Amino acid sequence: MKIFLIKNRMIIRLVFLVILIYSCKVEPIQDPNNPSPSAIAAKGTLSEIQNLVDGTESGIRINMNFYYDDVSVIGREYYRFSTSDPRFTSDLLGKGTAQLDSNTFYITNPFAARYRAIKNANILIDALTNTKAPITSEQRKAGIAYAKTVQAYQYLLISNLLYNNGLRVDVKDPDHLGPFLSREQGIDAIINLLNEANTDLKNNLVEFPFHTTLYSQKAAEFSKFNRALAARVYIYKQDWMAANTALQESFLDLNGDLNAGVYHMYSIAGGDLLNAMYFPPNSSGETRVVQPRFITDAEAGDKRVINKTLLRTSEAFQDDLKSNYDFFLYKSNIDPIPIIRNEELILIYAEVKAQTNDPAEANKAINKIRSAAGLGPYAGGNDTNSLITEILKQRRYSLFGEGHRWIDLRRYNLLNQLPIDRPGDDVWIQFPIPANE
Amino acid sequence: MSKKINLLFLLCNVLLPFFSLAQFTISGTVTDATNNPLPGVSVIHLNSFVATSTDANGKFSLVIPKKTGTLEFTYVGLARQTVPVVEVGESFVIKMKEDVGKLDEIVVTGLASSVRRSNLGNAVSTITSKQLVGTTVQPTMDAALYGKFTGSNISANSGAPGGGISIKLRGITSLVANSQPLFIVDGVYYDNSSINPGLNSISKAAGQGNTNFQDNPSNRIADLDPEDIDRIEILKGASAAAIYGSRAAAGVVLITTKRGRSGKPRIELSHSIGVQMQLKKLGQRQWTEDKVLASYGASAVPLFRGANGQIFDYEKELFGNKGLMNNTRVSISGGNENTTYYAGFTRKDDEGIVKRTGYKKTSVRLNLDQKVTSFIDANFSANYVTSNADRGFFNNDNTSTTLGVSFVSTPSWVNLYPDANGNYPNNPFAPSNFIQTRDLMTNREHVDRILLGGTATWKIFNFSKNSLRLIARAGMDNYTLNTIAIFPRELQFEKDGNGTNGASIYGTTLDKSTNFGGILVHNFKLSGNLEFTTQAGLTSENLDQDNVVNTATQLIGTQTNLNQASAIEVQQTKTIQKDRGFFVQEEMNYRDLVLLTLGMRGDKSSRNGDANKLYYYPKGALAINLHKLSTWNASTLSQLKLRAAYGESGNFAPFGAIYSPLVSAVFGGSTGSLITTTRGNEALVPERQKELEGGFDIGAFNNRVSLEATYYRKTVQDLIFNVAVATSSGFSFAWKNVAAIRNQGVELALNATPVLNKDLQWNFTVAFWKNKAKVTRLDVPAFNTGAFGATLGTYRIEKDKSPTQIVGIGGPSDKVDPQSGVAVYGDGEPDFNLSSYQDLVYKNFELSVLMHWKKGGDNINLSTLLSDIFGTSPDYDAMTLDPAKQLTNGKFRLAALGTTARPWVEDASYFRVRELGLTYRIPKHVFKNIADVKVGVSARNLINIFNYSSYDPEVSNFGSNAISSNVEVTPYPSSKSFHFTLTVNF
Repeated sequence: MKIFLIKNRMIIRLVFLVILIYSCKVEPIQDPNNPSPSAIAAKGTLSEIQNLVDGTESGIRINMNFYYDDVSVIGREYYRFSTSDPRFTSDLLGKGTAQLDSNTFYITNPFAARYRAIKNANILIDALTNTKAPITSEQRKAGIAYAKTVQAYQYLLISNLLYNNGLRVDVKDPDHLGPFLSREQGIDAIINLLNEANTDLKNNLVEFPFHTTLYSQKAAEFSKFNRALAARVYIYKQDWMAANTALQESFLDLNGDLNAGVYHMYSIAGGDLLNAMYFPPNSSGETRVVQPRFITDAEAGDKRVINKTLLRTSEAFQDDLKSNYDFFLYKSNIDPIPIIRNEELILIYAEVKAQTNDPAEANKAINKIRSAAGLGPYAGGNDTNSLITEILKQRRYSLFGEGHRWIDLRRYNLLNQLPIDRPGDDVWIQFPIPANE
Repeated sequence: MSKKINLLFLLCNVLLPFFSLAQFTISGTVTDATNNPLPGVSVIHLNSFVATSTDANGKFSLVIPKKTGTLEFTYVGLARQTVPVVEVGESFVIKMKEDVGKLDEIVVTGLASSVRRSNLGNAVSTITSKQLVGTTVQPTMDAALYGKFTGSNISANSGAPGGGISIKLRGITSLVANSQPLFIVDGVYYDNSSINPGLNSISKAAGQGNTNFQDNPSNRIADLDPEDIDRIEILKGASAAAIYGSRAAAGVVLITTKRGRSGKPRIELSHSIGVQMQLKKLGQRQWTEDKVLASYGASAVPLFRGANGQIFDYEKELFGNKGLMNNTRVSISGGNENTTYYAGFTRKDDEGIVKRTGYKKTSVRLNLDQKVTSFIDANFSANYVTSNADRGFFNNDNTSTTLGVSFVSTPSWVNLYPDANGNYPNNPFAPSNFIQTRDLMTNREHVDRILLGGTATWKIFNFSKNSLRLIARAGMDNYTLNTIAIFPRELQFEKDGNGTNGASIYGTTLDKSTNFGGILVHNFKLSGNLEFTTQAGLTSENLDQDNVVNTATQLIGTQTNLNQASAIEVQQTKTIQKDRGFFVQEEMNYRDLVLLTLGMRGDKSSRNGDANKLYYYPKGALAINLHKLSTWNASTLSQLKLRAAYGESGNFAPFGAIYSPLVSAVFGGSTGSLITTTRGNEALVPERQKELEGGFDIGAFNNRVSLEATYYRKTVQDLIFNVAVATSSGFSFAWKNVAAIRNQGVELALNATPVLNKDLQWNFTVAFWKNKAKVTRLDVPAFNTGAFGATLGTYRIEKDKSPTQIVGIGGPSDKVDPQSGVAVYGDGEPDFNLSSYQDLVYKNFELSVLMHWKKGGDNINLSTLLSDIFGTSPDYDAMTLDPAKQLTNGKFRLAALGTTARPWVEDASYFRVRELGLTYRIPKHVFKNIADVKVGVSARNLINIFNYSSYDPEVSNFGSNAISSNVEVTPYPSSKSFHFTLTVNF
């Protein structure tokens, strides 16, 4: 029938049209506003790799102020007063029935920022692995080792906060995140990562195929930063021998500048971060003030107290806490913040020696620190316990506000020594795993 | 695409030999009810689809293949007539009559086909030119839509000149993606972006409490001149809009502009002059020394004493401008049987109610229709618009610099006026002097826009029983938007270290959209009873938008050029999109009794994670005209139609949601790349709306009375939201399809013509509509969104609750949910809307009135909060709120701050006489039949009744945001206006 013939013809045409549309491809459009990580990971240029390095070094600074506040407030080094947020003085100090919350900025912000930097470093590793740029395989290895060192540092900071709650290490695939490992497994994973990186750094004579602000351009030199971090992790693990070896390969210099080391950098360039650990002296509202015991516990004439605190013109008061001293470690909003420096390495050296029955070397190191602080030589006992007590005290003053006190007392099981400011306050051992995990 | 079009042409060339030659000529004359010849009536031989239209003398002539079948005569607004060809004799005359029930109105149902309203399976609202602009002068196209059709919730974002309107059709259709309907003008996709001018760098409104910009930009549909519009069809949901596929989830507004009709040139000149003024005055607080002491402390008392009792009426100063409105309009149309043209010119110049604000627009349009050969028709539309909108500086800020916030911060006894040398004093109570800001700052949107569209129709063959047409369509929409914001360095908040020593914010947006389509339409008749219309086509739409905002600060002297500054920041944002689609549709008509439509659209887009995946959007509609049954007794019920329709449509994720980019991170002297915090999702699927609607149309007394009733139920699935994820992934948020919303509603429209005689005609429409929305799926825990947090009232997305519910913190007397910690205080969604349009013609007079009642729906009103905090609320000292009669209203509300959000959630119901117009047509003989002259007076928003404590319940601090649009923070107040119009037709 003619009708059906015509109908059939129409149907044929329709089928034809459908085929046409299938053949009409839409080219996927890359993000027109930003670079794509997958494209750079697949075939990044050297300048794109440089951007990732800069982004990573910028990213490892983000929300570090919360990290330092967490460690320092719980470690009773200073109080963080804030009119806009009472949780610095309630939750962190365990005021009354207040608990650490798993979905509050003090854990979620630093936690997320560290994993963001780890993610960025993973993209950097992929980019270095796949780049077609003219770099030698030694440079490629060195670059990857750089990224792993940075990642290991980020993991360490997370482990410091979560402690016995463990650590998630496998985060390569956001759709299939690995399990939370135990604290010990986490620490081992961090050490493995550092050692793996160091294999490619040590004795590697090339320069990185990018510019870094962290320690050195030369792989072999950068290895010293890697070993410094390793020494810190080994003493957390109480592996004194390994710590000693790492120290020897680090930038430890018993006679050197105590401030030599690796730093987070800040600037007033538009869009750059400022050092958020700085508040102008005598600030009210938002401020950090010294826990009074830091002043009263100090030996007379300790220059570190004078250098790191400032007598306020009026007492700061909030939430039943008060202090006459500003936390004044940084003198401007662009002062660099140390990641690790020689003073800490000397104290690690002292600790390792004290733990391995070498009180003479321990004394030597302690006295380097004491004399720099304007104090006379150490006069206490030379048994391990006395030496460790002295070393913890020197660490308290030398590394004030740099994120150590709470961790130090925790690893020696001495958190009960921390002062309780208000009846009912608690000293927390660790932060909960963020709720969204 | 060009390859595809070529193939289409090839296909059609093969079919060309089927083209048939005509054989018979018939002719006649068409007149109106009063026997005047009627030009421009379209005449079609239904059996062969040969068509023409009448000339200036109402005459037509048609060459048809066979002298059998039926002729159909149609003319907009008049009832369709059909005549068997055999009755068409030598001096055939046919008289057209008014289409009282609007049953013969032509409604577009496919991309290339249309049906008469009486055969429509959907409830499609239409607005004619007369309803749109016939009553009063309209500021913008979208403002002209208020209250004129069912199923909509239209709201002005503020009273600022130049537009800014949010349109929601049948409820909430998205959480964060596009919530505004798609506008198509003569087949051209019309961009309706709202583009921020970058005022946030001054107001800092985004950041504390809410991260959205609150720049109050206009939306670009405002560029379209309402006077050029012939007809608007509103496809409110997927059941009608499915053929527009992945862009149609928020509905589609189809706009047809005026076109020429054959005949001698018709010239229309009109000029309207008007004045606008503040819609509602709030008044000011009366002051005494005690109150000054209580509100501002002892330091303010000497200032108050120094004022010596002098009070300034700042409300009048700031909002009291009587804005002069001028609208000049010229149009010429005409043509012959082969060519018709329409040219329209509009010049609009409206002053705002705030000095130095206003809206100027010039629009030129040319529409051409050309018969190229007996089998090819082409039409072409061109529109050029240039406009300037000076919008002032209002809405929320965190710097107390907007005119609105500064105004509520200032007590009436502080003198802010400049001295004799033009030096403005600093405002002692706020960081800015709003009189100085108003006099010196600029916030202008300047648009140059060109719209071009064309359609060619090729009748490939034309047999007695079937015909095939190929329609090719192309459209281009191109505009440049310049946003110019200048804050000179002598402003209080810019100088002396208070700001950046001046700021010049210059934005440029280049927007280019193009769309192409090729459609084949096949008509097929089976033995006169059964008729099929098949159409299939390919479509292509492209969008390319490039927005650059330069913020220059530290200006040199009075210079505003970007290089006359010592600091400059640039932000560039591009949006690129390519869509390709196809569609097929089959319409079946059995004796106008049963009408069935089935269709399907397939779309792919670069906006989707997989750019080449086709998403399918089916639709179907059925209408049964029971009155066409042979057994029907039409004596009283002249029409009874049952109809049902189903359709699906889509909505893209926000642009960029498929990407997980590296963002820039400044580090010392260099800029690095750092992974973003929100993970893109390539597996994101478009939001999908599924709508089922059903209803009936009843006409009685020859359709003098008709009722259209519709019930709909639409679910929007796979709603996209930015959800929090495990941050060890390196991301804090990720885009996901997580929710669904169901909208159910009823729409009723009653049309009646109670009186229809020579001297008196009375038409009216009463419309009622109601929508209820509910969140039916939520894969993430309930969350608060929008506005400024629970303390001041916020929206909460929660399963089984309305998506626009307003919640906040509460005290013991509030019903605080222990789980969420918040109490429910209201809902942005109205209980119902009722509108009435009345048109009364008595001899040469015509009176038309549009009234609109919105019942229910709540706003979060923070203007009141701010004026309470600054002690300037007009009712601060009244004692009407506190049940204990202890506290004044201001103190009572402030006492609630931090305890309950209740005082800031207010009922936003209103009743308005939106439009009122009276025209008088001067008898033709007065001007010797040369000209037809009309004079008219009209008013907009003449009567407003509401119990809302600010200027106008119709307001949105967040523009056209899907959820949180009903929030007020010191907006540009609404206005009412009066107009006198003179129209001359030659």
